[in-house]
Amino acid sequence: MNLYLIQVFNGLGIGMIYFLIAVGLTIIFGIMNFVNFAHGAFYLLGAYACYAIADLTGNFWLALVLGPVAVGIGGWLGERYFLSRLYRVPHMYQILVTLGLALVIQEMAVLIWGPIGKPIAPPEVFRGVMIFGNFAYPKYRLFLIGFTAILALALWLLLERTRYGAVLRAGTESTEMVSLLGINIFRVYSMTFALGAFLAGLAGVLAAPIRGAEPFMGPDALVIAFVVVVVGGLGSFAGALVGGIVVGIVQSVMSSFWSEGANIMIYVAMALVILLRPHGLLGRA
Amino acid sequence: MRRRPLLLEPTFLASIVVVLILPVVLPSVAMATEALIFVIASLGCTLLLGYVGLLSFGQAIFFGVGAYACGLALIHLGASAWGGLLAAAVISLAAGLVVGGLVTQRRGIYFVMLTLACSQMFYFIAYAMEDITGGDNGLLNVPRPPLLVFETTLLTLRTPMSFYTFAAIVFLCIYLFLQRLVSSPFGSALVAVRENEDRALAMGYNTRLFKIAAFAISAVVTGIAGALYALFLNFAPLSNIEVSMGERIIIMTILGGTGSLFGSVLGGTFYVLLGNLLSAIWPRWLLVLGLILIVVASYLRGGLLSGVNWIVEKGRGWGILRSFAVRAWSATFRIRTPPRAQP
Repeated sequence: MNLYLIQVFNGLGIGMIYFLIAVGLTIIFGIMNFVNFAHGAFYLLGAYACYAIADLTGNFWLALVLGPVAVGIGGWLGERYFLSRLYRVPHMYQILVTLGLALVIQEMAVLIWGPIGKPIAPPEVFRGVMIFGNFAYPKYRLFLIGFTAILALALWLLLERTRYGAVLRAGTESTEMVSLLGINIFRVYSMTFALGAFLAGLAGVLAAPIRGAEPFMGPDALVIAFVVVVVGGLGSFAGALVGGIVVGIVQSVMSSFWSEGANIMIYVAMALVILLRPHGLLGRA
Repeated sequence: MRRRPLLLEPTFLASIVVVLILPVVLPSVAMATEALIFVIASLGCTLLLGYVGLLSFGQAIFFGVGAYACGLALIHLGASAWGGLLAAAVISLAAGLVVGGLVTQRRGIYFVMLTLACSQMFYFIAYAMEDITGGDNGLLNVPRPPLLVFETTLLTLRTPMSFYTFAAIVFLCIYLFLQRLVSSPFGSALVAVRENEDRALAMGYNTRLFKIAAFAISAVVTGIAGALYALFLNFAPLSNIEVSMGERIIIMTILGGTGSLFGSVLGGTFYVLLGNLLSAIWPRWLLVLGLILIVVASYLRGGLLSGVNWIVEKGRGWGILRSFAVRAWSATFRIRTPPRAQP
C-alpha cells in the first residue's frame, strides 16, 4: 500500500510540473490562438539555466529566481521582435517557425553544454528523506508539491483577481472586443507570452534536481503538455491543472505495475478521453 | 477540359528525368536511393498537407511500422521483397485507419497535437515490445532477397544500382497513383475539405471519412517508404518511429513546397543531400536546418517549388526559346495557393 501512496505523491509532484508547462501553453493559445512548438524549448532552457546558475554560484535558490526570469525575458524579447510578425500568417506556418526555433534552441544547448545530460543536486535543505512513522519520502519532492501548490494558487489569483487576468480572460473570448475597449492587445500578447515562457522555465528549474538537464528533453515535455491540454481541455486553467495531475499520477502509478508501459498508458488515457469526451475533461464544446 | 494522358503528365515526365539523373548527380548511388525513399515518405505527407490541409506530426508512425512490418515479414515469414512491401502496406493501412479514426475526432490545432501524441505513443510501444521490434537496438539482420518476377530474377538487389532501380520503380508507381488520385473527383473532394471543411460538410460530403481515407492512403505510401528504408539499411532502427522522424518528413515536405506532388521530389532530394553534406562537416547541422525552416516558413511559403517558379518568372521575355521554356515550366509547376490553416 505504501508503495502506491509514494507513487501517487511522486505523480502529484511530476503532475504539477506538467501543469506549469501546460498552463503556459494553454494561456498563450487562449489569447493568441497560436500553438507554440518552442514551448518545450523554454522548459529545456529553464533546466539549463538552473544548471548554469547553480554550477556558477552553488546556490539553487538563486537559480530558482533568476532562471525562470531569464527565460521569461527571452520569451518576451522573442515575441516582441520575432514571433509578433507571424500573427497574420496561417497557423501552420506559426507551428513551423516555432518548430524551427525549437530545433535551433536544442542544438544551441548541445553546442554550449554538450550532448550528455547534466545532473543537478537538490538544494542543501531538501536533501535526504523525511520520515513519517514507517513512511519515508524525499524532502525535495515534498517541497516540490508544496511550492507548486502555492504557485498554482498565486497563478489562479493572478488570472482571476487582477486587472491583467481580467484582460487576459476577456481576450480569450474576443481579442477584437478587448482592443476596441482601448487596451493595447499587443502588450497583453507580449506579457502573456513572457508569462508562459516564465512558467515553462520555472518548470524546467523545478524538474532539474529530479530529472537533470538534458538537451533532448524539450520535445518530450512538449508532447506531454499537449497530452495534458487534450485531456484537460485547451484554454482553461483548471483543465491544465486537472490534466497535469491526472497524467502525472497515471504515469507514476503505472510505472510500479509495468515500468515500460507507464509512458504508453498516458497516451491510452488520452485516447480514452478523446473518444469519450472529445473536448477534454473540463473543456467547453 | 480534356485531361492529359496520365503517363504524359509533365510532372511525371519530370520525375522520370529526376530518377534518371539522381544517381549521376548525387555523390553516390546509395545517397540517391535514400533520397528517393524520403521523397516517397514526403509524397505521403504532401497528400495530407497540400491537398487536405492536415498537418500530421505522426508520419513517423507509418514509416516505422512499415519498416518493422517489412523486416518481420522477411525475417520470420521468409517473404520476398514484394511480400515485404505488401506486408508494410497492409500493416500501415491498418495503423493509418486506427490513428486516422482517432485524430480526426478533432480539427485544427487539436488535430496537430493529437498526431504528435499518437506518434509518441507508437514510439513507446515499439520501445516496450523489445521481443518483436528489438527495442533500442532496432530490428537487426533484415535480409534483402533478389526480386523475382515469374520465377526469373528481375533484379538481384545486391548492388547499389540494382536496389536503386527497385526504389525508382516503386517511386514512379506511387507517383503515378497519387497523381491519378489527386486529379480524380476524390482528389477534388479532398481539396474542398482543405478550403472549407464546413462547406464541404454542408454539401453532403462526409468530410471525416474523406480525411480518414486520405490519412490511410498517406499511411500506406509512408509505410512503403519505411519498408524500402529497412531493405536499404538491412536494419530497422528505433529512430524510424521517433517523433523527430515525423518532423523530418514534414520539414522536407515544406522545404519542397506543398503546392504540387513534385514539391516532394525537390524537398526530399534537397533534404537528403543537405543532410549528408552538412552532417559530414558539422554534427550540429540541425541548427542550420532549424534556421532554414524558419526562413522558408516566414518568407518562402511555397517552398523550393515556388522559388524555382519565381526564378523562371523573372526570366520571362528573354527571347522566344526562353519564353517557350518558361511557358512549359510554369504550365507544369503552377503553384496553387498554399493550404490554409483550419479554423
